[in-house]
Amino acid sequence: MKKRILKTLFFGLFSLLTVTLYAQINVSGTVKSDAGELLPGVSIVVKGTSTGVITDIDGNFSISVPSAQSVLVFSFVGMQPQEISVNGRSTVNVTMVTSTFGVDEVVVTALGISREKKSLGYSVGEVEGEELTRVAQENVLNSLAGKVSGVQISSTGTAGSSVSMVIRGASSLTSDNQPLFVVDGIPMNNTLNNVTEIGRDNKADYGNAISDISPENIESVSILKGPSAAALYGSRAGNGVVLITTKSGKKSQGLGVSITSNTVVESPYKYIKKHTRFANGQRPFTQENRPNNGLGYYVVPVGDSYWVGPEMDKGMMVYQWPYFNANGEVEATPLVSHPDNFKDFFETGVTSTNGFSLTNASEKVNYRLSYDNMVNKGIIPNSDLNKNSISLNSSFKIVDDLTFTSSFNYTSSGADNRPSTGNRGTNPLQALYDINPHIDINDLKDYWEPGQEGLQQRGPYTLDLQPDGSYEKVDMINNPYFLANEVNNSFKRDRVYGNAKLNWQITPELSLMARYNHDQFHEKRETKIAPSYTGDANGVYGLVNMYRREQNTDFLLAYNKTFNDLSVNASAGGNYMYQYGDNNSVQTKNRGSGLIVPGIYTLSNIAPDNLQYGSGSYQKGIYSAYGLVSLGYRDAVYLDITARNDWSSTLPAENRSYFYPSASLSMLLNNMIDMGDKVSLAKIRGGWAMVGNDTDPYKLMSVMQKQESWGNETQMSTSGTLLLPDLKPEIQTSWEIGADLELFNGRLHLDGTYYQAENENQILSIGLPPSSGYTGKQINAGLISSKGTEFSIGGSPIKNKDLEWNVNFVYSKNRTRIEELSEGFDYIVLWTDAKGGAVTRVGDEIGQIVDAKMVRVNDPGSPYNGWPIIDDEGWDDADGWQTVINEGEPNVIGNFNPDFMLGMQTGLSYKKWNFNASFDWRVGGQFVSQTFRYGESDLHTQRWIDRTVKINNLSGSEMAQYLKDNADKYLLPDGDFYVVVGGPTSDAGGFQHTEDGITLNDGVFMPGVEGYYDDNGKFVMEAEHLGDTGTPLIRYQDFYGWSYTETATFDADYIKLREISVSYQLPSMKSIGIQNASVSLYSRNIILWTKAGIGIDPETAFQSESGAQGSGIQFKQGIERYNVSPWTIPVGVKLNINF
Amino acid sequence: MKLMKALFKIFVVLSVVIFTSCNEQLTELNVNPNGVDPAIVNPNLMVPTIITSTMKSYVDFSYQGDVAGVMNYVQKSGWGSGLNKYDWNSERDWSGNYGILRNAKHLYERADEEGMEFQKGLATVIRAFNFAYIADSWGDAPYTAALNAPNGEQEDLFPKFDTQEAIYKGIIEELKEANTILSKPFGAYTGINQGADILYNGSPEKWRKLANTLMLRYYLRLSVKLPAYAKAGIEEIMSNANQFPIFTSNADDATMDFIGSSDSDAWPANTTFDASQSNFTRLQLCAGFRDVLVDYKDPRLDVWFNPVKTQIQVSTDYPEDDIVVDGVRYLRPEYMEANNMVLYNRNTWVDDVNAGKTLVDTAVFVGLPIASTTGDGSGWNLNPNPIQGGPNPHNSALDDIYKNAKGPLLKARLISYAETCFILAEAAQRGWAAGGSQKDWYEKAIKASLDNWGVGSSYSSYITQQVVSYDGTLQQIIVQKWIANWTVAHESWCDWRRTGFPTLTVGPKGLREAMPLRFEYGGTEKARNNDNYLSAIRSLVETPATATDGKDSSWSKFWLLQ
Repeated sequence: MKKRILKTLFFGLFSLLTVTLYAQINVSGTVKSDAGELLPGVSIVVKGTSTGVITDIDGNFSISVPSAQSVLVFSFVGMQPQEISVNGRSTVNVTMVTSTFGVDEVVVTALGISREKKSLGYSVGEVEGEELTRVAQENVLNSLAGKVSGVQISSTGTAGSSVSMVIRGASSLTSDNQPLFVVDGIPMNNTLNNVTEIGRDNKADYGNAISDISPENIESVSILKGPSAAALYGSRAGNGVVLITTKSGKKSQGLGVSITSNTVVESPYKYIKKHTRFANGQRPFTQENRPNNGLGYYVVPVGDSYWVGPEMDKGMMVYQWPYFNANGEVEATPLVSHPDNFKDFFETGVTSTNGFSLTNASEKVNYRLSYDNMVNKGIIPNSDLNKNSISLNSSFKIVDDLTFTSSFNYTSSGADNRPSTGNRGTNPLQALYDINPHIDINDLKDYWEPGQEGLQQRGPYTLDLQPDGSYEKVDMINNPYFLANEVNNSFKRDRVYGNAKLNWQITPELSLMARYNHDQFHEKRETKIAPSYTGDANGVYGLVNMYRREQNTDFLLAYNKTFNDLSVNASAGGNYMYQYGDNNSVQTKNRGSGLIVPGIYTLSNIAPDNLQYGSGSYQKGIYSAYGLVSLGYRDAVYLDITARNDWSSTLPAENRSYFYPSASLSMLLNNMIDMGDKVSLAKIRGGWAMVGNDTDPYKLMSVMQKQESWGNETQMSTSGTLLLPDLKPEIQTSWEIGADLELFNGRLHLDGTYYQAENENQILSIGLPPSSGYTGKQINAGLISSKGTEFSIGGSPIKNKDLEWNVNFVYSKNRTRIEELSEGFDYIVLWTDAKGGAVTRVGDEIGQIVDAKMVRVNDPGSPYNGWPIIDDEGWDDADGWQTVINEGEPNVIGNFNPDFMLGMQTGLSYKKWNFNASFDWRVGGQFVSQTFRYGESDLHTQRWIDRTVKINNLSGSEMAQYLKDNADKYLLPDGDFYVVVGGPTSDAGGFQHTEDGITLNDGVFMPGVEGYYDDNGKFVMEAEHLGDTGTPLIRYQDFYGWSYTETATFDADYIKLREISVSYQLPSMKSIGIQNASVSLYSRNIILWTKAGIGIDPETAFQSESGAQGSGIQFKQGIERYNVSPWTIPVGVKLNINF
Repeated sequence: MKLMKALFKIFVVLSVVIFTSCNEQLTELNVNPNGVDPAIVNPNLMVPTIITSTMKSYVDFSYQGDVAGVMNYVQKSGWGSGLNKYDWNSERDWSGNYGILRNAKHLYERADEEGMEFQKGLATVIRAFNFAYIADSWGDAPYTAALNAPNGEQEDLFPKFDTQEAIYKGIIEELKEANTILSKPFGAYTGINQGADILYNGSPEKWRKLANTLMLRYYLRLSVKLPAYAKAGIEEIMSNANQFPIFTSNADDATMDFIGSSDSDAWPANTTFDASQSNFTRLQLCAGFRDVLVDYKDPRLDVWFNPVKTQIQVSTDYPEDDIVVDGVRYLRPEYMEANNMVLYNRNTWVDDVNAGKTLVDTAVFVGLPIASTTGDGSGWNLNPNPIQGGPNPHNSALDDIYKNAKGPLLKARLISYAETCFILAEAAQRGWAAGGSQKDWYEKAIKASLDNWGVGSSYSSYITQQVVSYDGTLQQIIVQKWIANWTVAHESWCDWRRTGFPTLTVGPKGLREAMPLRFEYGGTEKARNNDNYLSAIRSLVETPATATDGKDSSWSKFWLLQ
């Protein structure tokens, strides 16, 4: 039956063929560049046909054309295409002109259709492969940073971590907002959240799978930013599409071999700022004033997290870790600081990428085979990353009209250890940053207790030394070297992706493409933790196996024809997508009895009682049908109309089918009215589109999950989230308008876009009051609107034969606002921390950061109005500093999104020298640093010492007057930044204070007023706390506003030098077979300036934690906690040789 | 033309066939293979869930939670402002309790569908306990309108609050219903999986006793506010032993042993799975509890706490101001004088602290006095090595048994026979017919508690002491009940609120000059159910200690205390 239909179909299609015979004419010639070089590999096609050849190594070509009036189209990467009429000639010599910004540039658009950029009614960002490889990056996404307007790239952690790409701002509240990646038509699985936690507080980010793509294989990247561009990709394109075209053998002439070798060395140079003044302890005790243990010396409690112990480098003698001398006796030693601890811990990172490619092309066959290898050694000891990939792209002309193209890629990537980026646990950076500088980090390099290798780490501990000389070792803290070396989170991912495609040029106008795409990977994550890690003392072993597969089968029938002034491109096609994924995991229980035999990492070495295991799988399918009509009139007006219908398995049958159209218009004013030869392009464009979106599998009915067993008894629990069985698809409607201008023969170009998008029926989880029995409910409601602008301006101020200077600026600004949610719900919580969080109310911009409010006098008639209310012990009346954050009435202190981003790329070439640099500037937005909140609450930073107010030489009443006189600064400060007067020592402004029988100068107070409200709501003053007699003092140590997030909220503005490179084109060495070769020197990701100035890269403000949205670990945006790697200066060398 | 028509027909038919089969296929793809459909779940699979989650959270809060500090059992040497200084001016969330209640409700409904009455009765008891805990702690709360979110109406999503009185009366009715459901012999029930019943190994009789004993507890809770109702309730139970069987021995106690295979099924704050030991070492004896246990020469003191490692003595035997000889630290009186140190005295220590003096305690068992320091408590009693959350050689740590993940004495206790006897002693003391004399119940209670802690042999010497021997006062009953309810601090707190006993000293460095009376409503409930929250807090009555908190304060009085 099937066969018959096919036959009938083919017969029908064949009968449409009109075969015309022409007399064949031979044309030959030579192609040169405007610099006078012979150009090999230039593609020459007879216009309106699929007949084409390429120039040979000397730039020569020869082609048969059907008529003397035929037109030849010459095209070459980086050159302006030319159409030349044969006009009866038999020799046609052509000089190709370098295109700066390429009026006639061809870009790849949805469904892989190549289009002239000028004909598009929407904004498409492009990056050439060359720009991606100038400077080596582990993850190709990092190479895109700052190069395309509207695109924000940020990494979630250190090298090898996941990299987030958000196009035109986050429009979904529940997803990670990552765009769809399509490589040569193959949709690639990529998610931001790749964190797995095996072993207590051991969260490791294994990096996103998109890093499996080798940048060296990329020919070009097109970024379809808005729905207008992406509508044809449907459901998954709501966040934009990144189309990656890989290199093929098409352009080579004969056998070509190219070799690249790239090595980059990274040296850390800047660390977070911590003081090196006080040792561990609660107060700056001195030899005379210290807890009297009858031993004559103070014992430094290294396990105590506070860093306000005795001052270092003052000659004080103390008992300090490792406490014992060579004879095994406890011995007092001088307390000195080791300011280079951070520097000494880190190593030099090395990343080496080497590869070769082989290309060949003939009339019938062309192929490109490449191999790449990447090896990385991180700056944290014992961290690494490696990748091997092979790809083969080939094309084979079966008969003249039938071409078979295939692509096959295999990538094997892995690491022996990805250091944990979580907090409170195995993260070696946290352990490092928490070790007080009275310890020399180099003393910790031998991280096993002698004689207990493999069993007991040698971590700093506090000697609980009794007056009688007896002691106990208490409060051991993790040795960062132990964590780095003996907590191993390895992974291995084998990924295969590729496609097979048959292209049948039925007539010159009509073609049919049928294709099968496949992407799958298997990833194994394995964790081994040696015994004595404080969080999981008995050792940990765990395995996670993941498998993901996506298959797409599609076809496309395309029709192209030009009728006089009207060109018509019409396509229709269909697609079936199928996704399958499964996970299974087996591991030791968290904080359980660990492994039976220490150091043997096998599943059989886990006692049955201590096993934790689980498995799960999912499937999803979408059928789609789509069509596209594109009309062009006189090269001046282009109209595109698309339509698509999807049938998704994740929606209920009655809402499964959803249809969405789009339309866009492009008008080339320069082709409509004469604008002179100064204007090569003046285009205005506009587009309108709808995109439907489904949801994840199994979001209609919840199932019961098994919890950890109680002994042998199974425990089942109902889900706390209510699902919605009659979910509807989300619909995003958007429009954009823009203009493109090219002047002075491509020497100057400008383009700009304004867009608006409205996202309706968002499928999101909303918080219910716990008394309803449920914590959240899936809803299908709301309206989220985004608007934004994108600009780019660039040009070549200098351009002559030897010297060329290009510069390009890109600007993006986006605002996303919640317009509506659902009845009874007027805000959404993205995450919470301390008393604050990211809470967005209806009417506000997404990304608001909110915080607790200080209790202040609220009585406009009172002279104390606005002053902090203090209790009789000297605390903020709400104590612990906290008044409530009411989720519903948030006190907004910031927003984690930028006001705008600005990128700048510049290139300078002089003869054989090339210089390139790329900068990135972020303006606006804030982030919360839990690293600082935790560090400062334990008084680890100089910033905190400096932040307390020092008022010298004033007696009590004078001080009170001084504070009142400066009330704006000390009593009514902006926002809720509280003021603390005093400091840890007298020279820091501290007051004399006695506690637990010991008197020191570490007293502080918070200026404010004590009182209450009377029955009429009038504030009644009881006492002023202004440093006068009677003001209660508190130890400096106790005065951190733990519950205020604002104290640790910083501006996220920065300027980064993303990339800088100098390259040199080596002289021709054809005698030894080398066609060309270049060598370059580069650096990347150099943070030039941050507004916060605290040694943290604001771009890594991500924290992997359970968030408010969805279950499991997610990345919370706008907050970081020990996700702080030192800043580095990488230096790289790249060598490129083509044979 | 004919051919075209035929082709078209074939096309249409094919399309319909393909589309229909695709549609079915898509529906099948979305069937979740990863869990059990709640509509068909075996009720026994949810029985352990609601028992262990209830027992774990109750013992955790009553052993090391803030209420254990307020009730003077323990103090912390770090991270303990809520526990040491009743810094309770922050919300406490009830989502854990309502989560258990959601599961209990589903279990009840499934058991009902399956005709599994034992599980239905068990679910009712657990439900009643959790609602009582909510009423005990917060006051008014959603009860009749709670847990209905799946019904989908606005009033289901945002439940109105019931009065505290209505909740207590409601759960007493529910417990009566459980008493009826559970009144049949074991063999009359179907589908009992004995192993799943972590508390009573599938015994309907024991669950029935628990239901009635809890009823006694909640009647007593209402004894001041609704004396006639409480009296009638208790007397009804005590006069119908067959219809309302209650606990009659320690074997009836509602206790749960721990598995001890990992932190999540082990005794809280153990050191078996916490290598840093910090959670264990920070928890130390409180002076208020110590004072009474030492006065009473209570044999349980030694079971629960360790003596100090290094005792402090005041002595002029040595020339040094401060010296350790043979494991004792000696301070010279003039050195103490010069440094403004004074011996701890239970009657004057508050004044001493207010006068800026440093307290020194020279006993064998030492406890940190509640809210006695602005610091974190780690420097107390001249600790030579103050560490946040660290040990203190001059303060009593918990007994080493509490380092273990499980053990014969490490039980989560919901309610005990000892408590039952104390309830009845109090009822009798109030003059109600409690099936025995107040002295009888008082003595039975003490005996039961001593037996529970393995020191039953000391009973006769203990009970004959003047301070222990029954003198007919309510105070004596409640003080003994307070001792017996070690690790059941939440219940002691409820008793103290009702009776004012034991008499607790309010530390001078606490947040307020009074102990907290209730929990503030949780932030999520407050924000997400704001209208109902606002009308509920109107019934709260502020006290002087409410200060600037507004009505919803931990120092405001709810109905039960008004």
